[in-house]
Amino acid sequence: MTTLRYVLRDTWRLIVHHWVLGLLTLITAGVMLWILGGTTLLSLNLESMLTGLESELAVQAYLVKDNTIDVESVARRIQSLEYVYSIKTYSPSDSLAKLQRKMGSQSHALEMLGDNPIPWNFEIHVNSAQDVEPLVEALKDMPEVEDVVYAGLVVKRISALSRVSSRIAIIMFSLAVIITALVVYNTIHISLYSRREEIGIMYLVGATRAYIATPFVLEGTLLALFGAIIAGAGIIAMYFPAIELIRENLPLLTNILITDKGLIWRFCGLLAGFGATLGWVCSYLVVARFINSITRPE
Amino acid sequence: MNIQFSGVSKVFEPDIAALVDINLNIEQGEFVYVIGQTGSGKSTLLRLITRELLPSKGVVAVGGYDLRRMRKADIPYYRRDVGLVAQDFKLIPTLTVYENIAFVMEAMSVPKRLVAERAKDVINQVGLWRRRSMRPAQLSGGEQQRVAIARALANSPSLFIADEPTGNLDFHTAADVMKILFAINAAGVTVVMSTHNQGIVNASRQRVIELEGGRLIRDEKGGLYSE
Repeated sequence: MTTLRYVLRDTWRLIVHHWVLGLLTLITAGVMLWILGGTTLLSLNLESMLTGLESELAVQAYLVKDNTIDVESVARRIQSLEYVYSIKTYSPSDSLAKLQRKMGSQSHALEMLGDNPIPWNFEIHVNSAQDVEPLVEALKDMPEVEDVVYAGLVVKRISALSRVSSRIAIIMFSLAVIITALVVYNTIHISLYSRREEIGIMYLVGATRAYIATPFVLEGTLLALFGAIIAGAGIIAMYFPAIELIRENLPLLTNILITDKGLIWRFCGLLAGFGATLGWVCSYLVVARFINSITRPE
Repeated sequence: MNIQFSGVSKVFEPDIAALVDINLNIEQGEFVYVIGQTGSGKSTLLRLITRELLPSKGVVAVGGYDLRRMRKADIPYYRRDVGLVAQDFKLIPTLTVYENIAFVMEAMSVPKRLVAERAKDVINQVGLWRRRSMRPAQLSGGEQQRVAIARALANSPSLFIADEPTGNLDFHTAADVMKILFAINAAGVTVVMSTHNQGIVNASRQRVIELEGGRLIRDEKGGLYSE
Protein backbone atom coordinates (compact mmCIF):
# COMPACT_ATOMS: atom_id res chain seq x y z
CA MET A 1 0.00 0.00 0.00
CA THR A 2 2.86 2.35 0.92
CA THR A 3 4.67 1.57 -2.33
CA LEU A 4 1.48 2.10 -4.32
CA ARG A 5 1.04 5.52 -2.74
CA TYR A 6 4.63 6.50 -3.62
CA VAL A 7 4.28 5.14 -7.15
CA LEU A 8 1.00 7.01 -7.75
CA ARG A 9 2.57 10.22 -6.45
CA ASP A 10 5.56 9.80 -8.78
CA THR A 11 3.24 9.06 -11.71
CA TRP A 12 1.34 12.26 -10.99
CA ARG A 13 4.65 14.17 -10.80
CA LEU A 14 5.68 12.76 -14.18
CA ILE A 15 2.40 13.76 -15.82
CA VAL A 16 2.53 17.25 -14.33
CA HIS A 17 6.20 17.67 -15.21
CA HIS A 18 5.54 16.88 -18.90
CA TRP A 19 2.00 18.23 -19.07
CA VAL A 20 2.28 19.77 -22.55
CA LEU A 21 3.66 16.56 -24.00
CA GLY A 22 1.08 14.60 -22.02
CA LEU A 23 -1.74 16.75 -23.39
CA LEU A 24 -0.52 16.28 -26.95
CA THR A 25 -0.29 12.53 -26.41
CA LEU A 26 -3.76 12.50 -24.90
CA ILE A 27 -5.24 14.37 -27.87
CA THR A 28 -3.40 12.26 -30.46
CA ALA A 29 -4.30 9.01 -28.71
CA GLY A 30 -7.90 10.25 -28.37
CA VAL A 31 -8.18 11.10 -32.08
CA MET A 32 -6.50 7.89 -33.20
CA LEU A 33 -8.61 5.70 -30.92
CA TRP A 34 -11.71 7.60 -32.05
CA ILE A 35 -10.79 6.74 -35.65
CA LEU A 36 -10.11 3.17 -34.58
CA GLY A 37 -13.41 2.91 -32.70
CA GLY A 38 -15.34 4.70 -35.45
CA THR A 39 -13.90 2.48 -38.16
CA THR A 40 -14.67 -0.63 -36.13
CA LEU A 41 -18.24 0.53 -35.53
CA LEU A 42 -18.69 1.39 -39.21
CA SER A 43 -17.32 -1.98 -40.17
CA LEU A 44 -19.59 -3.74 -37.65
CA ASN A 45 -22.59 -1.86 -39.02
CA LEU A 46 -21.66 -2.77 -42.58
CA GLU A 47 -21.27 -6.36 -41.45
CA SER A 48 -24.66 -6.20 -39.77
CA MET A 49 -26.19 -4.73 -42.93
CA LEU A 50 -24.60 -7.41 -45.08
CA THR A 51 -25.72 -10.14 -42.72
CA GLY A 52 -29.23 -8.70 -42.87
CA LEU A 53 -29.16 -8.65 -46.64
CA GLU A 54 -27.56 -12.06 -46.81
CA SER A 55 -30.28 -13.53 -44.66
CA GLU A 56 -32.72 -12.36 -47.32
CA LEU A 57 -30.71 -13.96 -50.09
CA ALA A 58 -32.34 -17.12 -51.36
CA VAL A 59 -31.54 -19.49 -54.18
CA GLN A 60 -34.55 -21.07 -55.84
CA ALA A 61 -33.95 -24.53 -57.31
CA TYR A 62 -36.62 -26.02 -59.59
CA LEU A 63 -36.74 -29.77 -60.14
CA VAL A 64 -37.33 -31.58 -63.40
CA LYS A 65 -41.02 -32.43 -63.90
CA ASP A 66 -40.80 -36.13 -63.25
CA ASN A 67 -43.04 -38.00 -60.81
CA THR A 68 -40.38 -40.64 -60.16
CA ILE A 69 -38.04 -38.18 -58.44
CA ASP A 70 -37.77 -38.65 -54.69
CA VAL A 71 -38.11 -34.97 -53.61
CA GLU A 72 -37.23 -35.64 -49.99
CA SER A 73 -34.02 -37.40 -50.92
CA VAL A 74 -32.98 -34.48 -53.17
CA ALA A 75 -33.77 -32.04 -50.34
CA ARG A 76 -31.57 -34.06 -47.96
CA ARG A 77 -28.69 -34.04 -50.47
CA ILE A 78 -28.97 -30.28 -50.87
CA GLN A 79 -29.19 -29.79 -47.10
CA SER A 80 -25.94 -31.73 -46.74
CA LEU A 81 -24.04 -29.19 -48.87
CA GLU A 82 -21.73 -27.05 -46.70
CA TYR A 83 -23.05 -23.71 -48.03
CA VAL A 84 -26.65 -24.36 -47.06
CA TYR A 85 -28.08 -22.69 -43.97
CA SER A 86 -31.70 -23.80 -44.45
CA ILE A 87 -33.91 -25.34 -47.09
CA LYS A 88 -37.64 -25.18 -47.57
CA THR A 89 -39.51 -27.49 -49.92
CA TYR A 90 -42.47 -26.22 -51.96
CA SER A 91 -44.87 -28.50 -53.76
CA PRO A 92 -46.33 -27.28 -57.10
CA SER A 93 -49.61 -26.40 -55.38
CA ASP A 94 -47.88 -24.57 -52.52
CA SER A 95 -45.87 -22.61 -55.07
CA LEU A 96 -48.95 -21.63 -57.01
CA ALA A 97 -50.74 -20.53 -53.86
CA LYS A 98 -47.70 -18.48 -52.87
CA LEU A 99 -47.64 -16.86 -56.29
CA GLN A 100 -51.32 -16.10 -56.08
CA ARG A 101 -50.86 -14.44 -52.72
CA LYS A 102 -48.01 -12.37 -54.08
CA MET A 103 -50.05 -11.23 -57.11
CA GLY A 104 -53.00 -10.29 -54.98
CA SER A 105 -55.87 -8.83 -57.04
CA GLN A 106 -54.17 -9.79 -60.31
CA SER A 107 -53.93 -13.47 -59.41
CA HIS A 108 -56.80 -14.35 -61.78
CA ALA A 109 -54.27 -13.98 -64.60
CA LEU A 110 -52.77 -17.26 -63.43
CA GLU A 111 -55.92 -19.07 -64.52
CA MET A 112 -54.82 -18.48 -68.10
CA LEU A 113 -51.91 -20.86 -67.53
CA GLY A 114 -54.21 -23.82 -67.37
CA ASP A 115 -52.46 -26.66 -65.53
CA ASN A 116 -50.09 -25.66 -62.79
CA PRO A 117 -46.73 -25.29 -64.61
CA ILE A 118 -44.64 -24.93 -61.44
CA PRO A 119 -42.56 -28.01 -60.54
CA TRP A 120 -41.41 -29.09 -57.05
CA ASN A 121 -38.88 -26.52 -55.89
CA PHE A 122 -36.68 -25.52 -52.99
CA GLU A 123 -36.02 -22.16 -51.36
CA ILE A 124 -32.43 -22.40 -50.10
CA HIS A 125 -30.79 -19.91 -47.68
CA VAL A 126 -27.00 -19.73 -47.51
CA ASN A 127 -24.56 -18.99 -44.67
CA SER A 128 -23.04 -15.96 -46.44
CA ALA A 129 -23.21 -14.16 -49.75
CA GLN A 130 -19.94 -15.75 -50.87
CA ASP A 131 -21.62 -19.18 -50.64
CA VAL A 132 -24.22 -18.45 -53.32
CA GLU A 133 -22.01 -18.98 -56.39
CA PRO A 134 -20.57 -22.36 -55.32
CA LEU A 135 -24.04 -23.49 -54.23
CA VAL A 136 -25.48 -22.60 -57.63
CA GLU A 137 -22.67 -24.55 -59.32
CA ALA A 138 -23.35 -27.57 -57.10
CA LEU A 139 -27.10 -27.41 -57.80
CA LYS A 140 -26.56 -27.16 -61.54
CA ASP A 141 -24.51 -30.37 -61.39
CA MET A 142 -27.49 -32.28 -59.94
CA PRO A 143 -29.45 -34.09 -62.69
CA GLU A 144 -32.77 -33.65 -60.82
CA VAL A 145 -32.43 -29.86 -60.89
CA GLU A 146 -33.74 -28.22 -64.02
CA ASP A 147 -33.26 -24.56 -63.22
CA VAL A 148 -31.65 -22.36 -60.60
CA VAL A 149 -32.80 -18.80 -59.99
CA TYR A 150 -30.87 -16.33 -57.82
CA ALA A 151 -29.97 -12.67 -57.59
CA GLY A 152 -26.49 -13.10 -59.09
CA LEU A 153 -25.41 -9.44 -59.42
CA VAL A 154 -26.66 -8.47 -55.97
CA VAL A 155 -24.76 -11.40 -54.49
CA LYS A 156 -21.56 -10.44 -56.27
CA ARG A 157 -21.83 -6.81 -55.16
CA ILE A 158 -22.57 -7.71 -51.58
CA SER A 159 -19.63 -10.10 -51.50
CA ALA A 160 -17.30 -7.49 -52.99
CA LEU A 161 -18.52 -4.81 -50.57
CA SER A 162 -18.04 -7.19 -47.67
CA ARG A 163 -14.46 -7.95 -48.72
CA VAL A 164 -13.56 -4.27 -49.35
CA SER A 165 -15.08 -3.08 -46.07
CA SER A 166 -13.18 -5.77 -44.14
CA ARG A 167 -9.91 -4.75 -45.78
CA ILE A 168 -10.46 -1.04 -45.18
CA ALA A 169 -11.35 -1.75 -41.55
CA ILE A 170 -8.18 -3.82 -41.08
CA ILE A 171 -6.00 -1.09 -42.66
CA MET A 172 -7.60 1.73 -40.62
CA PHE A 173 -7.44 -0.36 -37.46
CA SER A 174 -3.75 -1.19 -38.00
CA LEU A 175 -2.87 2.43 -38.81
CA ALA A 176 -4.66 3.75 -35.74
CA VAL A 177 -2.98 1.14 -33.51
CA ILE A 178 0.48 1.86 -34.95
CA ILE A 179 0.13 5.65 -34.64
CA THR A 180 -1.24 5.46 -31.08
CA ALA A 181 1.51 3.03 -30.10
CA LEU A 182 4.22 5.24 -31.61
CA VAL A 183 2.90 8.38 -29.91
CA VAL A 184 2.73 6.72 -26.49
CA TYR A 185 6.14 5.10 -27.05
CA ASN A 186 7.74 8.44 -27.96
CA THR A 187 6.15 10.33 -25.09
CA ILE A 188 7.40 7.83 -22.54
CA HIS A 189 10.79 7.73 -24.22
CA ILE A 190 11.10 11.53 -23.95
CA SER A 191 9.90 11.36 -20.36
CA LEU A 192 12.53 8.71 -19.59
CA TYR A 193 15.27 10.53 -21.48
CA SER A 194 14.65 13.78 -19.61
CA ARG A 195 15.01 11.86 -16.34
CA ARG A 196 17.80 9.48 -17.31
CA GLU A 197 20.16 10.98 -14.74
CA GLU A 198 17.58 10.60 -11.96
CA ILE A 199 16.89 7.03 -13.03
CA GLY A 200 20.61 6.24 -12.83
CA ILE A 201 20.81 7.81 -9.36
CA MET A 202 17.70 6.01 -8.15
CA TYR A 203 19.10 2.66 -9.27
CA LEU A 204 22.43 3.47 -7.69
CA VAL A 205 20.92 4.19 -4.29
CA GLY A 206 18.84 1.03 -4.20
CA ALA A 207 15.55 1.59 -6.00
CA THR A 208 14.37 -1.57 -7.73
CA ARG A 209 13.81 -1.55 -11.46
CA ALA A 210 10.10 -2.13 -10.89
CA TYR A 211 9.91 0.86 -8.53
CA ILE A 212 11.64 3.07 -11.11
CA ALA A 213 9.68 1.71 -14.07
CA THR A 214 6.14 1.62 -12.67
CA PRO A 215 5.43 5.39 -12.71
CA PHE A 216 6.53 5.60 -16.36
CA VAL A 217 4.47 2.56 -17.34
CA LEU A 218 1.50 3.98 -15.45
CA GLU A 219 1.96 7.34 -17.16
CA GLY A 220 1.75 5.70 -20.60
CA THR A 221 -1.17 3.51 -19.57
CA LEU A 222 -3.11 6.44 -18.12
CA LEU A 223 -2.50 8.69 -21.13
CA ALA A 224 -3.72 6.00 -23.51
CA LEU A 225 -6.64 5.12 -21.21
CA PHE A 226 -7.82 8.73 -20.98
CA GLY A 227 -7.28 9.08 -24.73
CA ALA A 228 -9.55 6.06 -25.20
CA ILE A 229 -12.14 7.48 -22.79
CA ILE A 230 -12.17 10.73 -24.79
CA ALA A 231 -12.50 8.67 -27.99
CA GLY A 232 -15.36 6.67 -26.45
CA ALA A 233 -17.14 9.86 -25.36
CA GLY A 234 -16.71 11.23 -28.90
CA ILE A 235 -18.16 8.06 -30.39
CA ILE A 236 -21.17 8.07 -28.07
CA ALA A 237 -21.75 11.77 -28.68
CA MET A 238 -21.79 11.25 -32.45
CA TYR A 239 -23.12 7.73 -32.95
CA PHE A 240 -26.58 8.01 -31.46
CA PRO A 241 -27.47 11.29 -33.25
CA ALA A 242 -26.22 9.66 -36.48
CA ILE A 243 -28.49 6.64 -35.89
CA GLU A 244 -31.40 9.01 -35.18
CA LEU A 245 -30.72 10.78 -38.48
CA ILE A 246 -30.70 7.46 -40.36
CA ARG A 247 -33.90 6.40 -38.57
CA GLU A 248 -35.61 9.56 -39.85
CA ASN A 249 -34.31 9.42 -43.40
CA LEU A 250 -33.72 5.73 -44.15
CA PRO A 251 -36.14 3.83 -41.90
CA LEU A 252 -35.51 0.57 -43.82
CA LEU A 253 -31.92 0.47 -42.55
CA THR A 254 -32.86 0.95 -38.91
CA ASN A 255 -33.47 -2.74 -38.32
CA ILE A 256 -30.16 -3.89 -39.71
CA LEU A 257 -27.95 -1.24 -38.04
CA ILE A 258 -26.55 -1.58 -34.53
CA THR A 259 -28.84 0.52 -32.37
CA ASP A 260 -28.51 -1.22 -29.01
CA LYS A 261 -27.28 1.48 -26.60
CA GLY A 262 -25.95 -1.06 -24.13
CA LEU A 263 -23.88 -2.66 -26.86
CA ILE A 264 -22.34 0.70 -27.85
CA TRP A 265 -21.50 1.51 -24.20
CA ARG A 266 -19.89 -1.91 -23.85
CA PHE A 267 -18.00 -1.29 -27.09
CA CYS A 268 -16.66 1.99 -25.66
CA GLY A 269 -15.67 0.17 -22.47
CA LEU A 270 -13.80 -2.33 -24.62
CA LEU A 271 -12.13 0.56 -26.47
CA ALA A 272 -10.99 2.03 -23.13
CA GLY A 273 -9.60 -1.36 -22.12
CA PHE A 274 -7.88 -1.69 -25.47
CA GLY A 275 -6.37 1.81 -25.14
CA ALA A 276 -5.09 1.08 -21.64
CA THR A 277 -3.60 -2.24 -22.75
CA LEU A 278 -1.95 -0.64 -25.77
CA GLY A 279 -0.52 2.12 -23.54
CA TRP A 280 0.69 -0.43 -21.02
CA VAL A 281 2.41 -2.61 -23.63
CA CYS A 282 4.13 0.34 -25.36
CA SER A 283 5.27 1.95 -22.11
CA TYR A 284 6.44 -1.35 -20.72
CA LEU A 285 8.52 -2.05 -23.82
CA VAL A 286 10.17 1.37 -23.92
CA VAL A 287 10.75 1.50 -20.15
CA ALA A 288 12.24 -2.00 -19.98
CA ARG A 289 14.54 -1.23 -22.89
CA PHE A 290 15.61 2.15 -21.53
CA ILE A 291 16.18 1.04 -17.97
CA ASN A 292 18.13 -1.98 -19.20
CA SER A 293 20.39 0.24 -21.24
CA ILE A 294 21.23 2.66 -18.44
CA THR A 295 21.52 0.19 -15.58
CA ARG A 296 23.62 -2.41 -17.35
CA PRO A 297 27.07 -2.58 -15.72
CA GLU A 298 29.98 -2.01 -18.11
CA MET B 1 30.85 -5.65 5.58
CA ASN B 2 34.27 -6.77 4.35
CA ILE B 3 35.51 -6.29 0.79
CA GLN B 4 37.80 -8.64 -1.07
CA PHE B 5 39.52 -8.10 -4.44
CA SER B 6 41.16 -11.26 -5.82
CA GLY B 7 43.22 -10.82 -9.00
CA VAL B 8 40.91 -8.09 -10.26
CA SER B 9 41.60 -6.43 -13.59
CA LYS B 10 39.36 -4.04 -15.46
CA VAL B 11 39.88 -3.27 -19.12
CA PHE B 12 37.72 -0.70 -20.91
CA GLU B 13 37.12 -0.86 -24.66
CA PRO B 14 39.10 -0.76 -26.85
CA ASP B 15 42.10 -1.65 -24.72
CA ILE B 16 42.46 0.62 -21.70
CA ALA B 17 43.59 -1.19 -18.58
CA ALA B 18 42.07 0.76 -15.67
CA LEU B 19 43.01 -1.79 -13.02
CA VAL B 20 45.59 -4.57 -13.21
CA ASP B 21 45.64 -7.62 -10.94
CA ILE B 22 44.40 -5.99 -7.73
CA ASN B 23 44.44 -8.08 -4.56
CA LEU B 24 43.24 -6.52 -1.33
CA ASN B 25 41.09 -7.16 1.69
CA ILE B 26 39.18 -4.50 3.62
CA GLU B 27 37.75 -5.59 6.95
CA GLN B 28 34.43 -4.57 8.49
CA GLY B 29 34.74 -1.20 10.28
CA GLU B 30 37.94 -0.07 8.57
CA PHE B 31 38.50 3.45 7.23
CA VAL B 32 40.45 3.29 3.97
CA TYR B 33 41.77 6.05 1.73
CA VAL B 34 42.28 5.21 -1.92
CA ILE B 35 44.78 7.63 -3.38
CA GLY B 36 46.57 8.10 -6.68
CA GLN B 37 46.79 10.47 -9.60
CA THR B 38 43.89 11.19 -11.93
CA GLY B 39 43.40 8.11 -14.13
CA SER B 40 45.14 5.79 -11.68
CA GLY B 41 41.97 3.68 -11.26
CA LYS B 42 40.52 4.99 -7.96
CA SER B 43 36.99 5.55 -9.25
CA THR B 44 37.05 2.27 -11.16
CA LEU B 45 37.92 0.45 -7.93
CA LEU B 46 35.02 2.11 -6.09
CA ARG B 47 32.61 1.51 -8.95
CA LEU B 48 33.50 -2.17 -8.89
CA ILE B 49 32.45 -2.23 -5.23
CA THR B 50 29.08 -0.59 -6.00
CA ARG B 51 28.69 -2.97 -8.96
CA GLU B 52 28.37 -0.16 -11.46
CA LEU B 53 31.19 -2.01 -13.21
CA LEU B 54 32.06 -5.66 -13.48
CA PRO B 55 35.66 -6.88 -13.45
CA SER B 56 37.17 -8.11 -16.71
CA LYS B 57 39.11 -10.65 -14.64
CA GLY B 58 39.13 -11.77 -11.02
CA VAL B 59 36.57 -11.62 -8.24
CA VAL B 60 35.16 -8.71 -6.24
CA ALA B 61 33.41 -10.07 -3.16
CA VAL B 62 31.52 -7.93 -0.66
CA GLY B 63 30.25 -9.52 2.53
CA GLY B 64 31.31 -12.86 1.06
CA TYR B 65 29.21 -12.46 -2.12
CA ASP B 66 30.84 -12.51 -5.54
CA LEU B 67 29.30 -9.41 -7.10
CA ARG B 68 29.53 -10.82 -10.63
CA ARG B 69 27.26 -13.68 -9.62
CA MET B 70 24.73 -11.41 -7.99
CA ARG B 71 21.28 -11.70 -9.59
CA LYS B 72 19.98 -8.55 -11.30
CA ALA B 73 17.01 -8.47 -8.94
CA ASP B 74 19.30 -8.49 -5.89
CA ILE B 75 21.42 -5.50 -6.92
CA PRO B 76 19.05 -2.83 -5.46
CA TYR B 77 18.93 -4.70 -2.14
CA TYR B 78 22.73 -4.85 -2.06
CA ARG B 79 23.01 -1.14 -2.85
CA ARG B 80 20.67 -0.25 0.01
CA ASP B 81 23.41 -1.54 2.28
CA VAL B 82 26.03 0.58 0.52
CA GLY B 83 25.99 4.32 1.16
CA LEU B 84 27.36 6.16 -1.85
CA VAL B 85 28.74 9.69 -2.01
CA ALA B 86 30.13 11.02 -5.26
CA GLN B 87 32.20 14.07 -6.11
CA ASP B 88 29.36 15.39 -8.28
CA PHE B 89 26.88 14.68 -5.43
CA LYS B 90 24.40 12.83 -7.67
CA LEU B 91 21.38 14.61 -6.19
CA ILE B 92 18.07 14.79 -8.03
CA PRO B 93 17.75 18.45 -9.05
CA THR B 94 13.94 18.51 -9.11
CA LEU B 95 13.60 17.28 -5.53
CA THR B 96 14.15 19.21 -2.29
CA VAL B 97 16.76 18.24 0.29
CA TYR B 98 14.11 16.38 2.26
CA GLU B 99 12.73 14.60 -0.83
CA ASN B 100 16.21 13.61 -2.03
CA ILE B 101 16.75 11.83 1.25
CA ALA B 102 13.24 10.48 1.65
CA PHE B 103 13.06 8.79 -1.74
CA VAL B 104 15.74 6.18 -0.95
CA MET B 105 13.58 5.03 1.94
CA GLU B 106 10.39 5.28 -0.09
CA ALA B 107 11.98 2.97 -2.66
CA MET B 108 12.15 0.44 0.19
CA SER B 109 8.44 0.96 0.95
CA VAL B 110 9.19 2.48 4.36
CA PRO B 111 5.96 4.01 5.73
CA LYS B 112 5.69 7.78 5.43
CA ARG B 113 5.86 8.42 9.19
CA LEU B 114 9.11 6.46 9.56
CA VAL B 115 10.53 8.14 6.47
CA ALA B 116 9.82 11.52 8.05
CA GLU B 117 11.48 10.53 11.32
CA ARG B 118 14.59 9.04 9.72
CA ALA B 119 14.95 11.89 7.19
CA LYS B 120 14.77 14.43 10.00
CA ASP B 121 17.35 12.45 11.93
CA VAL B 122 19.93 12.27 9.10
CA ILE B 123 19.34 15.85 7.93
CA ASN B 124 20.02 16.96 11.50
CA GLN B 125 23.17 14.83 11.57
CA VAL B 126 24.59 16.83 8.66
CA GLY B 127 23.21 20.10 10.06
CA LEU B 128 20.87 21.00 7.20
CA TRP B 129 17.40 20.84 8.76
CA ARG B 130 16.77 24.52 8.11
CA ARG B 131 17.51 23.96 4.42
CA ARG B 132 15.31 20.88 4.01
CA SER B 133 12.88 22.58 1.59
CA MET B 134 15.55 23.86 -0.76
CA ARG B 135 16.55 22.28 -4.03
CA PRO B 136 20.18 21.26 -4.70
CA ALA B 137 20.79 24.26 -6.98
CA GLN B 138 19.99 26.59 -4.07
CA LEU B 139 22.72 25.05 -1.89
CA SER B 140 26.50 25.51 -1.79
CA GLY B 141 28.82 22.67 -2.86
CA GLY B 142 29.54 21.72 0.75
CA GLU B 143 25.85 21.66 1.60
CA GLN B 144 25.08 19.51 -1.42
CA GLN B 145 27.80 17.10 -0.37
CA ARG B 146 26.26 16.94 3.10
CA VAL B 147 22.87 16.18 1.56
CA ALA B 148 24.51 13.35 -0.40
CA ILE B 149 26.01 12.02 2.85
CA ALA B 150 22.64 12.27 4.60
CA ARG B 151 21.04 10.35 1.75
CA ALA B 152 23.73 7.68 1.95
CA LEU B 153 23.09 7.41 5.68
CA ALA B 154 19.32 7.14 5.36
CA ASN B 155 19.27 3.37 4.99
CA SER B 156 21.86 2.85 7.77
CA PRO B 157 24.38 1.17 5.44
CA SER B 158 27.16 -1.08 6.63
CA LEU B 159 29.49 0.10 3.88
CA PHE B 160 30.13 3.70 2.89
CA ILE B 161 31.76 4.51 -0.47
CA ALA B 162 32.89 8.09 -1.02
CA ASP B 163 34.44 9.04 -4.36
CA GLU B 164 36.41 12.23 -3.78
CA PRO B 165 33.73 13.70 -1.52
CA THR B 166 35.88 16.74 -0.70
CA GLY B 167 37.08 17.27 -4.26
CA ASN B 168 35.03 20.40 -4.88
CA LEU B 169 35.10 21.80 -1.37
CA ASP B 170 37.24 24.38 0.42
CA PHE B 171 39.39 23.30 3.35
CA HIS B 172 36.90 24.15 6.13
CA THR B 173 33.94 22.59 4.39
CA ALA B 174 36.03 19.52 3.58
CA ALA B 175 36.96 19.25 7.26
CA ASP B 176 33.25 19.34 8.20
CA VAL B 177 32.49 16.56 5.71
CA MET B 178 35.40 14.49 7.10
CA LYS B 179 34.07 14.89 10.65
CA ILE B 180 30.79 13.35 9.50
CA LEU B 181 32.61 10.48 7.74
CA PHE B 182 34.70 9.73 10.84
CA ALA B 183 31.54 9.72 12.94
CA ILE B 184 29.97 7.24 10.53
CA ASN B 185 33.08 5.04 10.74
CA ALA B 186 33.07 5.27 14.53
CA ALA B 187 29.61 3.69 14.44
CA GLY B 188 31.17 0.56 12.87
CA VAL B 189 30.53 1.34 9.22
CA THR B 190 33.28 0.45 6.74
CA VAL B 191 34.33 3.61 4.87
CA VAL B 192 36.26 3.53 1.59
CA MET B 193 37.10 6.99 0.31
CA SER B 194 39.10 8.09 -2.70
CA THR B 195 40.80 11.46 -2.42
CA HIS B 196 43.47 13.81 -3.73
CA ASN B 197 43.46 15.77 -0.50
CA GLN B 198 46.87 15.30 1.02
CA GLY B 199 46.04 17.27 4.17
CA ILE B 200 43.07 15.11 5.05
CA VAL B 201 44.97 11.85 4.54
CA ASN B 202 47.99 12.99 6.49
CA ALA B 203 45.92 14.39 9.35
CA SER B 204 43.96 11.23 10.07
CA ARG B 205 46.60 8.48 9.52
CA GLN B 206 44.24 5.75 8.35
CA ARG B 207 44.92 2.85 6.03
CA VAL B 208 46.09 4.11 2.62
CA ILE B 209 45.82 2.21 -0.64
CA GLU B 210 47.77 3.84 -3.45
CA LEU B 211 47.18 3.14 -7.13
CA GLU B 212 49.37 4.02 -10.07
CA GLY B 213 48.48 3.22 -13.66
CA GLY B 214 45.84 0.78 -12.42
CA ARG B 215 48.28 -1.14 -10.20
CA LEU B 216 48.25 -1.28 -6.41
CA ILE B 217 51.62 0.10 -5.40
CA ARG B 218 51.09 0.65 -1.67
CA ASP B 219 48.75 -0.67 1.01
CA GLU B 220 49.75 0.80 4.37
CA LYS B 221 47.95 1.01 7.71
CA GLY B 222 48.27 4.45 9.35
CA GLY B 223 49.85 5.73 6.17
CA LEU B 224 50.52 9.19 4.80
CA TYR B 225 49.62 10.60 1.39
CA SER B 226 53.22 10.21 0.19
CA GLU B 227 55.78 7.83 1.57
